[in-house]
Parts: sequence; structure tokens; C-alpha cells
Amino acid sequence: MPGPHTGFTSVEDVQKKLESVDYIPSREIATVVFLAAATQKPILVEGPAGAGKTELARAISRCLNLRKIRLQCYEGLDEAKSLYEWEYAKQLLYTQMIKEKINQLIATADTIAEAVEKIAQQENAFFSERFLLARPLLQAITSDEQVVLLIDEIDKSDPEFEAFLLELLSDFQVSIPELGIWKAKHIPIVVLTSNNYRDISDALKRRCIHLYIDYPKKDLEKRIVKLKIPNIEERLADQLVNAIGNIRSLDLKKRPCISETIDWAKALMVLQINDLSPQALSDTLNVICKYQADTVMVRESMDKVLK
Amino acid sequence: MLNLILNFVNACRASDLRVSTAEVIDCARHLEMVDVLDEAQFRSALRANFAKSRREQTEFDRLYGLFFHDMRPDVELDADCDPENTDKADMRHTIGQMRQEAGDDEITQAIMDFLAGDPIPYLRQIHRLETQTEESSQALKSNLSQLSSRLEVMLRINRTRNRLLQLMPDPISGGAPGRNRGMAGLLMERLETANRMLTQETRPNNDALKQVNAYEKKTLGIGERPFSNLTETEIIKMRSVIDQLVRKMKDIMSRRYAVRNRGALDVKKTLRAAQRYQGVPIEIVFRQRPLRKTRVVTLCDVSGSVWSAARFMLNMIYSMQDCFSDVKSFAFVAGPTNITDIFEKHDVNQAIEKVITDADINFNTHTDYGEMLTQFHRDHLNLLTQKTTLIIVGDARTNYQNPCEHLLDDMRARCRRVIWLNPEPEQFWGTGDSEMNTYKAYCHEVRPCRNLNQLANFIEDIVF
Repeated sequence: MPGPHTGFTSVEDVQKKLESVDYIPSREIATVVFLAAATQKPILVEGPAGAGKTELARAISRCLNLRKIRLQCYEGLDEAKSLYEWEYAKQLLYTQMIKEKINQLIATADTIAEAVEKIAQQENAFFSERFLLARPLLQAITSDEQVVLLIDEIDKSDPEFEAFLLELLSDFQVSIPELGIWKAKHIPIVVLTSNNYRDISDALKRRCIHLYIDYPKKDLEKRIVKLKIPNIEERLADQLVNAIGNIRSLDLKKRPCISETIDWAKALMVLQINDLSPQALSDTLNVICKYQADTVMVRESMDKVLK
Repeated sequence: MLNLILNFVNACRASDLRVSTAEVIDCARHLEMVDVLDEAQFRSALRANFAKSRREQTEFDRLYGLFFHDMRPDVELDADCDPENTDKADMRHTIGQMRQEAGDDEITQAIMDFLAGDPIPYLRQIHRLETQTEESSQALKSNLSQLSSRLEVMLRINRTRNRLLQLMPDPISGGAPGRNRGMAGLLMERLETANRMLTQETRPNNDALKQVNAYEKKTLGIGERPFSNLTETEIIKMRSVIDQLVRKMKDIMSRRYAVRNRGALDVKKTLRAAQRYQGVPIEIVFRQRPLRKTRVVTLCDVSGSVWSAARFMLNMIYSMQDCFSDVKSFAFVAGPTNITDIFEKHDVNQAIEKVITDADINFNTHTDYGEMLTQFHRDHLNLLTQKTTLIIVGDARTNYQNPCEHLLDDMRARCRRVIWLNPEPEQFWGTGDSEMNTYKAYCHEVRPCRNLNQLANFIEDIVF
């Protein structure tokens, strides 16, 4: 049964709560989110760019009122940038400032060995949390309340980083050599996203539950558009969603995503266009297409798009 | 319930979908939490735990449909059934009888198991069929052995169907009216499913595939001419354009070396250096940006059908070897030959000449991609690591021989990216003996590469 920390009580509850923060999930999304939260497993979300992977994490954090911590992955990301780093400059500054105190401390020492011993006793003062610069992963682990941890575009990171994540995602603990092992105070809700630039290792996949988010079906997308722009006309929304669906089926460099559908709807509203004519589409095309070649292709297959 | 799931897991494993024990435990826990009577929830819970990537989802969906819809485990024949229900008893009797007739023929037994509601042995048979490689690769090579084993299974299914009709009174023409009808229908349905599974080819869903067709038309004229249509003078002109391209590529790489030392201040190293000057930071050390260590393995088809393009491809591979620190190059007609050394020791034109004349490549055989993959898989698999980009250049025309695509799948699992460059225009992919559409399912990226502009675009993409 659901653990004490989860904010969701059932699949329907997930659906309702996500909808309350303007995210309309499919049945599958709701089920997976519920299961992940209830069993404290990370979710690995795959899907085309702009289908709402990152938005899902944002919506979960908003509807449960949890802080969201985001880690953007890229090639060359390492522990120092993702987990923690010692603040050398601060440590140095402090040693300078408390020089006198240190001198006092070792004033009574007769030999150098004794002085070293005395300073060593104070080591803890320098390798303490005060001088630790917490990066996103450590922040998520040590936070006093539960957080949503979003690890974005995990496929862009190096295999080494992926391996390093394993300890964190299975036991929710990190080991810092100077301080020992830190266990998470609250197990965060972890969402990993991937664009499938490369395949994720089996070991990491085993620790997550998997979710594939595709572009929404037409009626779902229409609901999303109407949710974001309440005063859009029924007929225009229909035409819009239909056209976007057709544009996505073209062989484009970059297919328009949900946020572009919404931007486009907004643009049409501002221009007070109530009927999607070829002229209107052609005029507003640069909202949807981000490459010149794509614009040309949509213009060429205009009648197919507006069918 | 748990038994049902375990049976399903066995079916998954039999068709090579990797499911670990930990995942089964997770799934069992998850099923306790959802409403299993709602199929959407039940299916999502299973899918989220057993199919961990988009590629595996097609296979999962197929098995799910087979197991929970076609096979209908609720009418399990081996389950303890009601003695009054003579249908089931009849059925078991019939199957038992056919089993005895079949003796120890493995495939027929698998079909019998399938009829009795246990698809696992049959799935295993099919999986074996799909990953079968030629045993006698020395003699006459063909794709026939795979086809003929398929045919054998099909013949056995037909035989079973006929026998079944004999043993069971024909449900339509009367016999025992109504009594055996449901069960006979079920058995026939199952046989049909078995037959369908045999003829259907399954390919992983690869919709994350990057397929680049559009490209910037930089140089018109020569840039748009297909490699195969170039005249002698144009080839010379082309060389100089490629030289420019290579110079540009080297520029980018050297610029990358130059900025590598312009990272943020490295406090640790600066402090260490300052110790020498009594704590005054005279030497300031910056953090080095690590260079991207790209490893590239290229496999280039140099057979007759792509020869005109291959020259330019070899040219490109040569310059890549110049730019990246770790490039291994192979050329093949049937088996791969390592040409890394030739490229390292000689000048461009000389090297390409040497590949054609000196390298140990048998130009007198037919192109055989399956053979190439088999040999590469056997001898050079250690070259592929998580940091390797595998670039295959070729038209994927296999002369109707076994494409061995499962080997490419295995290679994909080992490397970072698989990119396929095809010197044929896209509309010819999959026509005749081209297996491009088969191989496409196992690549991360495919692109037609038949003129200079497309080549230039590719080089830019890979360098940046």
C-alpha cells in the first residue's frame, strides 16, 4: 500500500491532481506516476522532443507543492558539478582569518609533530558541511522536505556519470570520503528524461520504471489547447490540432511540439484569425517551424496540412 | 495471479526480452496497488516494468497481445478443470494423442505446447529461427536455410491442422453438435496465431531514429551531382572541394584544442602552485576542459555497386582518421579488412590506391553484409565500447543473403551510436536486394549520402 510519504492515493487521484495544475495526463502516465511515487522508484521518461517530458516533472512538483531540483546533463558532467565540491576559496579565507587562533593553538606545542597533531584535531572544522558546496543531487538528498529531482537528458551525459548515478538511485545515499555516507532524509521523486540520443545502460534501466510519452492524441491535445487558452473557438481549436497533427507527419527537421501548438494558438488569437486559411497558416508558419527548410516543406504541402 | 505473471515473464524471456528478477518483484508490488481489472492500468504496470525502452515496447506489445488476448490464459487447458466439462478432457486427450504421434520431434512438440496454452517452447523456436546464421558459409551461400526452417515449421502446423480436423468431428458439418465447437474453434484459433507469428517479422520500434534527409545546399552544381555521375575533370575538382572541407574540419578540431585551457579557475591547483611562493598565487591554473574522446569505427563497403561513392567515402574516412585520435577503419566486400594502418602510413591518394590494390580484400565475391557482420562480430567486437561511434557506409545490398540483423542489434547495444550512410537515394532503399529497411531499425541515425553537400553536412554534424 502507498507509503507514508507519497502525496497520491490512487491513479485517479494522480490524474485529478495533475489536471489541477494544467497538465492533462493519459491513463498510462497517471498509472506510472502513481506507481513510481508509491514505491519510491525513479521514472525514466522517453519520448520525442517537446512531448512534455520535462513538463511532467514540473507538474508533479507543482501539484504536490514540492520543490523541484533540476540537473541538466551534458557531456563532461561530473561529480563535482552534480553532487558536491569543497569550497577551497572559502576554506582558505577562513584559515587566513583565524590565523591567530591557530597560532595560539600550537603555541604550547613543543615539537612539530605535536603541532601537527593539534591541528589535525581541528580538521573537522574545515571539512564540515559549512565548506561543502552542495550541487543538485546532494541538495535533493539532504533537503529537509521531500523534493522532485529532475535529471534532464540523461542520454547526453557520459557512461561514467550514469554508473555513478546507480548508487544514488538504488539506495538514495551518497558517500563523501571526509564525512561518511549520507542517507536521504526524504526519498525524492526522481524523474529522468531521455531523448534516445544513445541507449541507456541496462543497470540504470533496471532501477527505474519506464514511461514513453508520445505526442498527445488529437482530442487530448485539443483539451490541452483549450485549457491553456480558454477563449479559443471550438472550430479553430479543431482545425489547429488537425493541422499540427498533419504537420508532424511530414518529414521535418524539427517536428512542432505541444508548446509550439500553444504558441501558435496564441499567435492566431492575437491576430484575431478565426479560420485557418492557407494564407493564415502561411503567415504564422514561423511560430511552428524553426528551420527554413521546414517552412518551405510545409508551404509546399499546404493542402495536405489543411485537409 | 503471480503464476500468471511468471508465465508471462517466461514467455518474454523466451523471445529475448530481458526481464530481471528484481523487475518481477517490483511488478508484483505494483500490481497490488493498481486496479488489475482495469486493463489500461494492468498493462501500464506490466509495461513500465518489463519494457524499459521504446525499442522493447513493440516486442512487449506483441507478447502481451499473444499472451493475454490470443492465448486467453483463463481457458488454460492444463489447469485443473471441471470433470463435468468433457470438452476440456476431450481436448487434452486429442492433444495427448497427437503428441504421441509426433514422437520426439521438437518443433511439433512445441506446437502442441502452444495448443495446450503454453507458448514458451514455440517462442523459443521462433527466436532461434530469427537469430540463425549460416553454418556452411564456405560453400554456396544463401538465405535459404532460414527460409527452409521456417517452411518446416509451417508444414508441421499444416499437418497438425489436418490431423486436428480428422480427430475432431467437423464443427460445422455436425458430428457432435455444439459440444466440441468452442474448443475446436479455440484450437484452430491458436494454430492460426502460431502461423501468424511465424510469418510476421518483428522489428524493434525505432522511432527515435534520426533520419536526416534535408540538408543545406551549400555549393550548387558540383555539390548536387551524385558521386556516381561525375566526370573525370569533376572528380579532380571534387577532390579540391573535399580538401577544403577537411581543412575546415581540422580547423575546428584545433580550435577545440586551443580553448581547452580556458576553463574556470582551478583553485586546488592554483593553491598547490602558490605553495612554492609562500602562498602568493603567482601561477594561476585554469581547469582544463577535457577533450571529447571520440572513438570512431568505420565500416566501408567498397564493392562494385558503390564503388564510385566509396572513393569519396574513403577520402572522408581518411581525413577523419587525421582529426580524431582513435579511428579504426575497415573496408569490406564480404569480410571486413582492417585498413587503419594503410591510412596511417600513406598519403591520401596513395592510401586509397593501396586499399584497392594491396589490401587483402577479395573483390571477386558478392557483397555479403551478413558475412561482414558475422566476422566483425566474431573478431573485432572488443573495439566497440560505450564511447565508440560506429559508422557504416554502404548500400545494404546483400545479394539476397541472410542480413544477420540481430548481430547489428548486438553491436548497437555495445556502442554509443550507430550511423549508417547510404550512397543510394532514399527512394531505392528496400527495393530489390536492399536490406536498408531491415538495418534501419537497429541504427541511431541513417542518412543518404550521395553528393558532396550531404557529405559536408554529415561531417559538420559529427564534428560539432
